[in-house]
Amino acid sequence: MKKRLDFKNFSIYFDQYLFIAITLLSVMGLFFLYSASQEDITIVAKQAVFVSFGLLLMFAVSQLDPDFYKTYSGVFLVISILLIFATTLFGKEINGAKRWLDLGFFTLQTSEIIKISLPIFLSSYLYNKSLPISSKHTFITLILIGFIFYLVYRQPDLGTGLVVFMSGGYVLFLAGLSWRFIGSAAGVFVLSLPFLWNNFLEPFQRQRILTFLDPNADPFGTSWNITQSKIAIGSGGINGKGYQEGSQAHLNFLPETETDFIFAVIAEEFGFIGVCVLLSIFFFILLRCLYLAFNARDRFCRLTIGGLSLVFASTLFINLAMVVGVIPVVGMPLPFISKGGSSLLSFYIAFGIIISMATHKKLMQR
Amino acid sequence: MIDLNERHLEKRSFFNRLLLVYLFFGAAFLFILYKTYSLQVAGYSNYEIAALKNKTKEVLVQPVRGIIYDRNGNILVNNVPTYDLIIQPSKIKNLDAFIVELSKIINFSPEELENINKNFQQKALYNRELTIRKDLSKEEIAKFQVRSYKFKNAFIDVRYSRENRYPYLFSHAIGYVGGVNNDQLSSILKKQKLKQSETTFKYSGGFLIGKTGLENIYDSHLRGSFGIKSFEIDAKGKLLKEVGFDKSIDGKSLFTSLDLSSQKIAYDQMGERRGAVVALDLQTGGIVTYLSTPSFNVNDLSNGMSQAAFNNLINDKNKPFFDRAAQGRYSPASTIKPAIALFGIKESIVDWNFTIDDPGFFVLPEDQRVYRGWKKGGHGIINMRDAIIESSNTFFFSLAYQSDINSLIDHLAQFGFGRNICNDCFNPDSGLLPTPEWKMNNLNYGWFKGDTVNLGVGQGYMSATPIQLAYYSGFLASKGSIQGLSFINGETQNKQSFKSSLSVDDSDWEKIHSSMIGVIEDPKGTAKRLKPLKNYVVAAKSGTVELVSTETKEDYKLVRKNIGNRDHAIIVAFGPMPNPRYAVSVVIENGESGGSVAGPVAIAVLNELITE
Repeated sequence: MKKRLDFKNFSIYFDQYLFIAITLLSVMGLFFLYSASQEDITIVAKQAVFVSFGLLLMFAVSQLDPDFYKTYSGVFLVISILLIFATTLFGKEINGAKRWLDLGFFTLQTSEIIKISLPIFLSSYLYNKSLPISSKHTFITLILIGFIFYLVYRQPDLGTGLVVFMSGGYVLFLAGLSWRFIGSAAGVFVLSLPFLWNNFLEPFQRQRILTFLDPNADPFGTSWNITQSKIAIGSGGINGKGYQEGSQAHLNFLPETETDFIFAVIAEEFGFIGVCVLLSIFFFILLRCLYLAFNARDRFCRLTIGGLSLVFASTLFINLAMVVGVIPVVGMPLPFISKGGSSLLSFYIAFGIIISMATHKKLMQR
Repeated sequence: MIDLNERHLEKRSFFNRLLLVYLFFGAAFLFILYKTYSLQVAGYSNYEIAALKNKTKEVLVQPVRGIIYDRNGNILVNNVPTYDLIIQPSKIKNLDAFIVELSKIINFSPEELENINKNFQQKALYNRELTIRKDLSKEEIAKFQVRSYKFKNAFIDVRYSRENRYPYLFSHAIGYVGGVNNDQLSSILKKQKLKQSETTFKYSGGFLIGKTGLENIYDSHLRGSFGIKSFEIDAKGKLLKEVGFDKSIDGKSLFTSLDLSSQKIAYDQMGERRGAVVALDLQTGGIVTYLSTPSFNVNDLSNGMSQAAFNNLINDKNKPFFDRAAQGRYSPASTIKPAIALFGIKESIVDWNFTIDDPGFFVLPEDQRVYRGWKKGGHGIINMRDAIIESSNTFFFSLAYQSDINSLIDHLAQFGFGRNICNDCFNPDSGLLPTPEWKMNNLNYGWFKGDTVNLGVGQGYMSATPIQLAYYSGFLASKGSIQGLSFINGETQNKQSFKSSLSVDDSDWEKIHSSMIGVIEDPKGTAKRLKPLKNYVVAAKSGTVELVSTETKEDYKLVRKNIGNRDHAIIVAFGPMPNPRYAVSVVIENGESGGSVAGPVAIAVLNELITE
């Protein structure tokens, strides 16, 4: 339920359902992270700072009127793109990838910002276009999405690139992309798969996909991660091994326990019951977003809530699907749980904007 | 701008599309939930085992080999502890400072320091131990123990080496141990349903297997079974903590029938000479003395020998490595005569009263070839008893001449010739009992009557090993009741024991015994010189193995200038009569006289055994 609190002339925009659910997830995340980081209190403390700051940021962002976002969405997008360019020029290179911008106090993964600014910009661009969206607007939108996707992809960061691509695609689809276009695009995509395979994927990315298709081919090589992840999850059973008792995580068999594979740690230590509890909180958040999107004040707000909530859903799905071995390994955090500043903060901002879109009513309705 | 109708339409379209994507994600998340369910609930047991396997490392623990005793409880082979200095690299922060401190007590060689520096990091990473000095001296141990409070991460631990207390006495009988190859190790571990894996050794030599002798034959009895220590490990393989220990079961001791004192006597008697001595306990069939000379230091082989030293051992012209007792082939020569005599009686070719006139040679009627005896002018009118005592060749030439070769061969096989009569000898040779088929197949000649005649005095193609001769001696002594020989009283390795079906009248056995007693006791006996060497009665038959056939004594004098052409001396003996307890065979290569050269060795061994 959206709520508006009146303090004389001053209003506070706040959705207690999302706020409680996200706070709960964040706190659980700190709890899980303590175990996943092998009881490293400095990591947890740092994450706690991000969580606290993020919650404040979410609250602050939700106070701004949707019109503010609509008006400045172009500026946000340009800044986001410039940040990505800056990353290409001055970025910090880690493991052959330039994805981070060192701001001194904070290392920013710039692609995390654009997956928010792009859907907002597209919502503002498409909200007043008549249905169905004309070919001209469709192509302009697609070129923009493709351009930004390319920028992120060549960092290289295929995973985030795909999420960015989807974040734009969702808005385009929700705004009324013609079905005929969707059909023909899907056809072209399927036909160009061999070309994409040969020209767009880095060798390690191809290897990941091959590993996924035949995980037993090389259990100690590239499929090590996914094999160990499955063992961690499977050996958790129904009740789990107990907090801090996960042998796969604590004896280092499981890789990236603090980030991408933290779900496997949770599944190992809390079992199927823990997984169900965790997932129900995520589902609750998504259903709440659906409800808010249906009740938003105008088309811009609807598109933004829909787009951002689907970015959240996609990130969640890719992470879970990767960890349980349903899709190839792609670097993707578990929202609100995984360690990492940029993605964590970007989701607080995203939900702040969702709350803003859902709680601000039109002036004329007041 | 959009009109109201279109706005409504737009809203419917948005809701439908958002719902569609949500439904898609709903299905996707249900699938993930299902996948998690199938991993955690349906596949739980498999993954639980996989996780357990991941974090568990099993390290084999080597058992200690059994001790080998002689029949009086003397230890023959033992495990001798050496003390090694071992460190725990994962707990040592500053290696250099640690070594500097340790060097005040123990001087490390450059090789040892190199070994430490090379292996330290890896051992630290995996939390393994590192042996930095093998075989500490007593002084070093004492020095270390006094200052051990300074070195919490170093300790002294026992490692064993296999040691034969009498390295030259039992080289061939007991044999030596050595390293195993991959296949041997796999099959040893397979018996315990184990795989090759990291092992905590109790022997400084690593994995051991019996290479020769009793160490080889009773290897599994002596070895024991490996223990398993389970450790919790991390992904790097670092040992974190011990979680379980199935203790190793040490090997069982081996109580042999060997007799240390008679072995010593045999070894002293043989001295530098090449040959073999085997003695049996007639009550048990146990081998009490088993010597092949020259011998070698078996401990050098067990605990690592340089390739050059090994080559010297293998290429030595006296062949110390060769086990003459079980593998040396010698013609039985005149020692065969009692067996031929029994054949003559059994086949009714002769009886004890039958005599011939021995002119000193036998002429083969077929081709007029002359077969000579050892005594010029012959033994005159002679019966079978005297033919044994005086060793008349002519008597046995003519007896063999009248024999059917196939029946004769069957008869000799009953004495163990051409057969393996030892249950637990290492690679025993069966000697050769020649048959017409054998000659045709191997020499492309048919069997001549002359071959049968030669067989009558144990010359020609026939050969036997000293262990077979000892069995033959024991068979005669026990009147045919002795079974297969063994180094162990009781359960032996090879259950298929040699069995003889020869039946001889007791009176004939008595006469054979009496004839063989005469060989020593009778003034005409070929081994009468042995009579004063003992104070009980011994039965014997000596033999002299001609390596080069000569017509006259003058010819032999020329031949014997080359030591390698001299006759082999051979004797079989048993006593004390009339109820013999021990039987013995002695072969001395190029010793020339069975009675006076091999005989004293046999008597010395019997003396030790009987008066012990």
